[in-house]
Amino acid sequence: MKAVLVKADYATARADIIDGLLAFRIWTRLGWQEVKRRYRRTVFGPFWATLSIGMFIGGMVFIWAPLFHADVRSYLPFLSAGLVAWTFATALITEGCGTYTAGVSLITQLNFPYTVLNFMVVWRNIIVFFHNVVIVVIVVIALQVPVSWKTLLLFPGIAIVAVNGAWMTVLFGMLSARFRDIPPFVGNLMQILMFITPVFWFASQLGGNSQVVVKYNFMYHLIEVMRAPMLGTAPSPISYAVTLGLAVIGWLVTFDIYARFRRRIPYWL
Amino acid sequence: MTSIIAENVTIDFPIYGGSHRSLRQTLFARTGGLIRQEGTGRQQRTIVRALDGLSFTLQNGDRLGLIGHNGAGKSTLLKVLAGVYKPDSGSLRIEGRVSPLFNSAPGLDPDDNGYENITTCGLFLGMTAEEINRKLPDIVAFCELGEYLDLPVRTYSNGMVARLGFAIATSIDPDILLLDEGLGAGDAAFAERAETRMKALIQRTRILVLASHSDALIKGMCNRAILLEKGSLIAIGPVDDILDRYHKRLTPAQVA
Repeated sequence: MKAVLVKADYATARADIIDGLLAFRIWTRLGWQEVKRRYRRTVFGPFWATLSIGMFIGGMVFIWAPLFHADVRSYLPFLSAGLVAWTFATALITEGCGTYTAGVSLITQLNFPYTVLNFMVVWRNIIVFFHNVVIVVIVVIALQVPVSWKTLLLFPGIAIVAVNGAWMTVLFGMLSARFRDIPPFVGNLMQILMFITPVFWFASQLGGNSQVVVKYNFMYHLIEVMRAPMLGTAPSPISYAVTLGLAVIGWLVTFDIYARFRRRIPYWL
Repeated sequence: MTSIIAENVTIDFPIYGGSHRSLRQTLFARTGGLIRQEGTGRQQRTIVRALDGLSFTLQNGDRLGLIGHNGAGKSTLLKVLAGVYKPDSGSLRIEGRVSPLFNSAPGLDPDDNGYENITTCGLFLGMTAEEINRKLPDIVAFCELGEYLDLPVRTYSNGMVARLGFAIATSIDPDILLLDEGLGAGDAAFAERAETRMKALIQRTRILVLASHSDALIKGMCNRAILLEKGSLIAIGPVDDILDRYHKRLTPAQVA
């Protein structure tokens, strides 16, 4: 494999990421514009995504609560918080795939830190998350789910998922620019993951032998650092360990790959 | 000190997506460089050498014209100077702020209004927010779009979009300005003012690199020229000499 031998340019990759972060004026702006733009001339605007999740939850809760032998009062908050967290985490991955292919006109015309595009995707999804979280707020108030200081752990949770999401958009953005089979593949994978991750069912419902499915599922832990605080509880230390570890390893691997192939991105587009 | 020092700059384009159609499109779109096959069997891939060992030096006051047929490597060279493509071998040292003004205003979005696009494009052209604010009155006055600036750009006519793009693009203060075929700018009345503004921009630019098929444009704006052919540098020198060589190299077949 000739590709493995490509010389890494760590200085450029580092400069790209730092300059990209410093250009927060551009990516916060582009992220906002994008959210505004998507829903221009609509009545509910960005809340359409929220409404659709809300309608989905409203419809499904009456089927699934009895199906999973759960009481609606405990199942509804669990499902809402889980689904909103899931939507955020998976959007980072699936939309991350299109980061560079969507930026083709900029990448092939200008020399700028490409990570601006990645941070834009992350920022945009954080904005969307804060729209969707309204569902959880309503459910929590309506069903009087206990709110405590632990609820505030949601914010570090968002930060952890965002930091993970950032490397995923870089890695999947590059892979998708080079190999055009990646986006549909990732889309399919996410659909399957949605069912084998405890979003619709409780992790505890799985028999002892099947717990592996949950334990080693990084998506479960990414969801958990956000979902648990929304339900007024603290995520388990294991979830923090896994997600923080994932952030460190993910960034190290991505950084190395980015250093080797960043210069090839305009050629792939 | 503003300068460009290119030594042996070489660019290879690997061609992805092996279908005949896309291959052909890519070739016509990008280059007329040498095509070769590398590797065997499934590892085999097509590589086009778009630029082959280019060396030249540009300094303050140089206005360089790029001359050559379609696919000779003019646009590729501009993109290399813009930092879009990094050379595969050889070295390129650039001192000074480079402003590429290619086709359209970068980041222009039809759903945003004129003001929003001025800011977005300005940021992408490397201006700071303060710089954009400072230049806003000048951009607004020059494009003469008035209240249209409050409307989404998709409601503009093509000429109006061109005016807006031109007004933004020409408001920059570049050290090194890269131009591909000049910039289009709306109707005849506007064209005259556009020319004046373009000249002013070039006046305050230290180094200009312009790719064009128009002898008049090259003669009017440049003091040096490079002749490119199939990705190689054939000659560099005074504009008239190089244009002369270019026209002599046209064989009867090529003229037809």
